[in-house]
Amino acid sequence: MTVTPPARPLWFTGDALGPRLARHTLTLVALALLLLPLADLSIITRDPWTELARMARGLAWPAWGAVESPFHALGLTISIALWGTLAGMVLGFPLALLFSKSRLVRASCAFLRAIHELFWALLFLQVFGLSALTALAALAIPYAGIFAKVYAEILEETPRAPGDALPPGVGRLVRFVYTELPLAWPRLAAYTRYRFECGLRASVLLGFVGLPTLGFQLETAFREGRYHEAGALLWLFYLLIASLPWWSHRRLLPVLAIGGAFLLGPWPSVDSALLWRFVSQDIWPQPLLAWDWPGLITWLTRIPDLAPAIGNTLLLGLLGTVGSLLVALVMWPLASRHFGNRVSRLAGSGLLVLLRSTPELMLAFIFLLLLGPSMLPAWLALALHNGALIAFLIARHADSLTPGMTHLPASGRLAYELLPRLYPSLLALLYYRAEVILRETAILGMLGVATLGYYIDENFQYLMFDVAFFLLLVTAAFNIAVDALSRRFRPKEAPLEVPGMDA
Amino acid sequence: MPERHAPLLALEDVDLGHGDRVVLPRLSLTLNPGERVALLGPSGAGKSTLLAALRARLGDDVAWCPQHHGLVPGLAVYHNIYMGRLGKHSALANLWNLVRPLRGPWQEIAGLCERLGIDDLMRRPVGQLSGGQRQRTAIGRALYQRRRLFLGDEPVASVDPHQALHLLSLIDAQHDTCVIALHQRELALSHFDRVWGLRNGQLAIDAPATELSLDDLDALYPDAAATAASDTPEATSQPRPLPCYRGQA
Repeated sequence: MTVTPPARPLWFTGDALGPRLARHTLTLVALALLLLPLADLSIITRDPWTELARMARGLAWPAWGAVESPFHALGLTISIALWGTLAGMVLGFPLALLFSKSRLVRASCAFLRAIHELFWALLFLQVFGLSALTALAALAIPYAGIFAKVYAEILEETPRAPGDALPPGVGRLVRFVYTELPLAWPRLAAYTRYRFECGLRASVLLGFVGLPTLGFQLETAFREGRYHEAGALLWLFYLLIASLPWWSHRRLLPVLAIGGAFLLGPWPSVDSALLWRFVSQDIWPQPLLAWDWPGLITWLTRIPDLAPAIGNTLLLGLLGTVGSLLVALVMWPLASRHFGNRVSRLAGSGLLVLLRSTPELMLAFIFLLLLGPSMLPAWLALALHNGALIAFLIARHADSLTPGMTHLPASGRLAYELLPRLYPSLLALLYYRAEVILRETAILGMLGVATLGYYIDENFQYLMFDVAFFLLLVTAAFNIAVDALSRRFRPKEAPLEVPGMDA
Repeated sequence: MPERHAPLLALEDVDLGHGDRVVLPRLSLTLNPGERVALLGPSGAGKSTLLAALRARLGDDVAWCPQHHGLVPGLAVYHNIYMGRLGKHSALANLWNLVRPLRGPWQEIAGLCERLGIDDLMRRPVGQLSGGQRQRTAIGRALYQRRRLFLGDEPVASVDPHQALHLLSLIDAQHDTCVIALHQRELALSHFDRVWGLRNGQLAIDAPATELSLDDLDALYPDAAATAASDTPEATSQPRPLPCYRGQA
């Protein structure tokens, strides 16, 4: 008697986790492939390879001497990140305590989070000008929303036993300070540290809107084709990120903060009347303030057709997510102890760290110079950066696993031992990242990709604050919706044990 | 002797459990003042449920030592023990105490720690302690509450038998009544006045310790017979299996 294997592949049917995740992934990939023709992926520059070679030469032979006052730019970058994170913490912590109690607080925090640091910067730029106040507010406000949510989650997950063990009659404040706070402290500190690292990257990016951080010189050097200088600045940035564990020591931070505070000036003189006018009038459509409903409809019709921009934003978000998945799948073995030799692993981890610490906007900017303005540079940047980030975390997860069968060939180890165990976490991380990807999709518009961010940037430039603010609200609404969707669809079986993947 | 006083607590046909889930249906028992009760039973028999119910009913009279200690790893031994009397100080004093230990409590707790044998660890975070040291800290916190009654959920599970006796005598010195969940059956017979044995949600044993033998207690543990039979030949050749300290692993 012969037994024939089932004709249909097993992933096609079945309710187990494996087949379900496989179907899930394939649906996602199929959707991306189906919509791919709608994306503009053309390469516009005539000779990207020559340009790439010039950039590589610039990176290989950086011109250190050409960088203008690098220490001031570095100091300002650190100082903005430090004070911005600190202000976000101070604002976010009280919100975290109210987070589970108040729907209003949750909704406002979701809104604050949904708008990217750079868009906040564009908004505050109109009132505070090119000053440290703009930079600090641009970091502190979204971070307050993020801290509120993450701190609240961490506090909620503290063990209940120590609080239950307290004798009766202990007040809420004392209970919090003696049990919940010390129990949550290590995770709170770890997350704050991670957020500070994000703050550093964001602080660099603020240079792209004109604030004099490292990013400003970087953008100018790249845009003007001075690649040797750009190379030096890029190395400076990598050194800054790589040396973070050494200079961000707990005892050193207060010194850095106080020293850095002197770099933040000169402070702008805030005209409160102007500020109030901006908040109460400039950013709202005139017809709305006058309660003129027909006028509001005409106002809405004058807004350029948003459908393509929204379509592009969502499409780029989807492509970026699927691209990240593929990049992560291909790249994680490069940095895992289960594959290759010491040299290949070192090179693999180096590549992942490099891609993961370069902000998307910067990657996209470089690809844009290489390939010309289409969706392709943005897609590549999103896929490479987020894919590398996920791959790095998955490789660390893989390193903590011990395969049951030791002498399998590499392919068998990958397909039978490791991937089945890692894939649920990989997908969970991807879904977590999807919201971040969408938020960054919007800011890539600032580079000329026709997403919502493109129109936001444009309207700010034309001083049409009402339209820009309206588009910001639309972007935020989409981010919140996609966050809710990804929360709904992400596999519940894989708990995320990786700290700091939240936002 | 206990009959002279009114019972501290009497349960008659009470259903105990968590929320809607009844763990101990129709339970009846009496706790008399001055009685030292050992609470035995296999894991999951409902020992913690019963202790939680006793704690809820006896309220302010109870010094409580929970299972797995319920300590805060990030705080020092001193602060964890201090938490036993958090309700007795003002909020301001409690907060200041985190910055700088209050002199009075520090001296009291230093004396307590000396008796517990952890006086050199007072400043150390609980997260850096061994299992036995944490156990002693948890007992210290319960002793520092200074109540009449002691309720402990396996407070001596992770110390050696010698230490266990020492800790139990410290508990006895300060409390006239106690109910302590245990895994060490011989200790239950040698050290306590009464034994409550839970099995399958029933109070299978409720008798003075003097009227019980180890065999009676073994009946609480469904797997005990099987383990004893598969024990080493020396063990089977003796009239009784070697005392085994369950829960110490």
